[in-house]
Amino acid sequence: MNNYESHRQEKLAKEHIARKKRFIYQIALWFSIIAGIGLIVGGMIYFVARQNLVPTNSLATIESALASDDWVKGNKDAKMVFIEYSDFQCPACAFYYPLLKKISEEFGDNLAIVYRHFPLPKHQGAKPMAYAAEAAGKQGKFWEMHDMIFDNQNKWAVQSQSKIKDIVVEYAKSLELNIEQFEKDFGSKEIEQKVEGHYREGVKAGISSTPTFFLNGRILQNPKNYDELRNIINQAIDENL
Amino acid sequence: MKISKTLIIIFLAASFIGFLDAAYLTVQHYLGTVPPCAITGGCATVLTSGYQKIFGIQVALLGAIYYLTLFLLAVAYLTSSRKIFILLAALATPIGFIASLWFVCLQLFVIKAICFYCMISALTSTTLFATGIMIIINYRKQMLSKVKE
Repeated sequence: MNNYESHRQEKLAKEHIARKKRFIYQIALWFSIIAGIGLIVGGMIYFVARQNLVPTNSLATIESALASDDWVKGNKDAKMVFIEYSDFQCPACAFYYPLLKKISEEFGDNLAIVYRHFPLPKHQGAKPMAYAAEAAGKQGKFWEMHDMIFDNQNKWAVQSQSKIKDIVVEYAKSLELNIEQFEKDFGSKEIEQKVEGHYREGVKAGISSTPTFFLNGRILQNPKNYDELRNIINQAIDENL
Repeated sequence: MKISKTLIIIFLAASFIGFLDAAYLTVQHYLGTVPPCAITGGCATVLTSGYQKIFGIQVALLGAIYYLTLFLLAVAYLTSSRKIFILLAALATPIGFIASLWFVCLQLFVIKAICFYCMISALTSTTLFATGIMIIINYRKQMLSKVKE
């Protein structure tokens, strides 16, 4: 009886130890899994944050002098020249559009903001929209058309190529443009060549994506938000003074 | 009787790869800049298309949570041998599969651009769905043979 009892107790103790071991093993396993996942996510955060610090092509520069047919918002003769190469169908360009609008309001005459076309080949609507903005520009409403195109980007970008012309004519009507003139300019060689010229200049400057910004001729790493963009400009103003 | 180890290992691997992929996109979204539109490639178009959010939450974040949950459930099954964990995981796989199917259709027919990371996710969620079905079939067979005994 006693023998049996001690045997039983021994067995219980062994089982207890085994259970404890299993428990510790489980805790260690889960702990390492959670730590591993934490490390992976931490590594990604570090990697992405670092990637943003290193300019992709910091040497790319562009002539900061304005061309006579450039569209300029703000002060044409400002010391600070901010040039944007943009594509009307690019969602990232549409993201920066209200930011630049706000920048232009804040910096006013201290800044010249220039819009140049860089219609990416994969965006079928980008070129016609660039022509539409230029054609509106012929009647003094480039920026109004520019705003309208970006404001409605997600509406027209999903339409088929054949409808694009009707859409821009609609926009022209709502801007009270002379439609006959607008349609003539929209299809003109002159405007086509101007847009093509911007694109070629951009390629020469090493642009491979939109939007690409240049501040006084130097390429900028695309800022994350409004504050970052404002800081970059403020810093450049301080350096220039 | 146990559910085939190979199935569980495939399940673990697919959910882990899916998690890495979705977590990368999530981190990129919250820390990175708005992806610019490059001359080639469609990630920026897809990730800024307006379809990258559901109820205001990033799809990538939801994906990361989904894959991580499946991964942890599979680990829980391996360490505890309780079938309920892997069955729960297997039963959840249609969610990811249907979501992926929807996003592939969106990319092909609506956004008309393909994002490499989203395609990886479609691949992993399809693998998980297929493995999930096999796990359930495996489990049913075992139950039936038990009943017969």
